[in-house]
Amino acid sequence: MLKIGELAAVGEVSSDTLRFYEREGLIAPTSKSAGGYRLYDDDAVVRLRFIKQARDCGFTLAEIQQLLVLRNQSEACCGDVRQRAIEKKLQLEAKIRVLSAMSKALDHLIADCSNETHPIDRCPILGALEKATASAGLGGKE
Amino acid sequence: MKIELFYALGCDKCASNRTSLKVAAERAVPGLEWHELNVLEHMDYAVELGVLNLPAIAIDGALEFPALPSAKQLVAAITRKSAVAESR
Repeated sequence: MLKIGELAAVGEVSSDTLRFYEREGLIAPTSKSAGGYRLYDDDAVVRLRFIKQARDCGFTLAEIQQLLVLRNQSEACCGDVRQRAIEKKLQLEAKIRVLSAMSKALDHLIADCSNETHPIDRCPILGALEKATASAGLGGKE
Repeated sequence: MKIELFYALGCDKCASNRTSLKVAAERAVPGLEWHELNVLEHMDYAVELGVLNLPAIAIDGALEFPALPSAKQLVAAITRKSAVAESR
């Protein structure tokens, strides 16, 4: 059996993270020692690696909770997990598009500011942002 | 009118009611185009339309149902859109 610090070291997370995962219902100690320390079995190591890998793939804690439930459901099938993975990919691809549009908007602003020695009150980037803010404000009043 | 249903292989929710939805839609608007698109083969298009969950249905290139509707809901939507198109 592992104590919380030992499990944290194996999983390369902090003890606080493990306590947070416990509060979120993702992982729980198998038992407690006579001194009240949390004790974890080998399944906790597998579960922790699962959580970390799923987080790396962009799943939220709530989604990971659902995946862990599916993992223990005998009537669930791989198709259920696959569908969630495809939906996560759709969400990530949508985010990538938004980020790409933001990056392109920054490209335009950076290109407009070809002279970095301009005084701050003539900075084209700040000017463009102010103009955008003013337009948005006017639009909101109409 | 063009209906596009986005699905994934192995998705039980996608498979359920697909046939009954198609039959109901074709009965409501004869001659409509019904396409079933594997989302993995049409990822860019799905993202462009805003598909985030499966199954999803787009009507004439716009996401109408982000989740599978009932036959009644689908028929109501396509009947409404068909009436709008005819009035133009």
